[in-house]
Amino acid sequence: MKNTLKVERAKKNWTQEDLAGKIGISRQSVNSIETGKFTPSTILALKMAKVFGTTVETVFQLEKHD
Amino acid sequence: MEKLQKPAGKKILFYSILWAVVYIGCLLIVKKTDTSRSMGVVISFLPTITFGLFIYNYIKGVGAMDEVQRRIQLEAVVWAFSLGLLLLMTLGLLDFVVVLKKEDWGYTHIIPYFFLFYFFGIFISRRKYN
Repeated sequence: MKNTLKVERAKKNWTQEDLAGKIGISRQSVNSIETGKFTPSTILALKMAKVFGTTVETVFQLEKHD
Repeated sequence: MEKLQKPAGKKILFYSILWAVVYIGCLLIVKKTDTSRSMGVVISFLPTITFGLFIYNYIKGVGAMDEVQRRIQLEAVVWAFSLGLLLLMTLGLLDFVVVLKKEDWGYTHIIPYFFLFYFFGIFISRRKYN
């Protein structure tokens, strides 16, 4: 699964630390998700979309092999 | 979902140290001093209390972690359990063919390996996700 977390963060001018603080997770966890090393749960994906003021589909997209 | 609060991490560390201190203390008492058999049995069960407190706080602490940290802990525990089981299985088999010295391979000597395996698991898992 790919994501546009970095792009969404850049739009808001947020660091990983800022995003982590807003959704209550660690910066390392944000990094793991952003780099695609970890697939977040539905609830976390929804939280991320909410803080960016967008939909989950905008932030996370399925890839062919998913 | 909350990230692991610092006091929770400190609590786990405190109870792990408390358990280690009590365990080592009891080990030294039963090993080095001339305690009666019944007293020795009582002392042998004393670390169970501090171990229980440590595990309770560890599980509570894991519950307060975010999902990536929880995955790291889960994988570390799986590594520790699997490698610990492998060690016991191998020692058990070796015990039939080679005489293993109790002074080198007694139960108390095996315990530190579980910690070593746990920290190995943490290392591997952190590299994977961070």
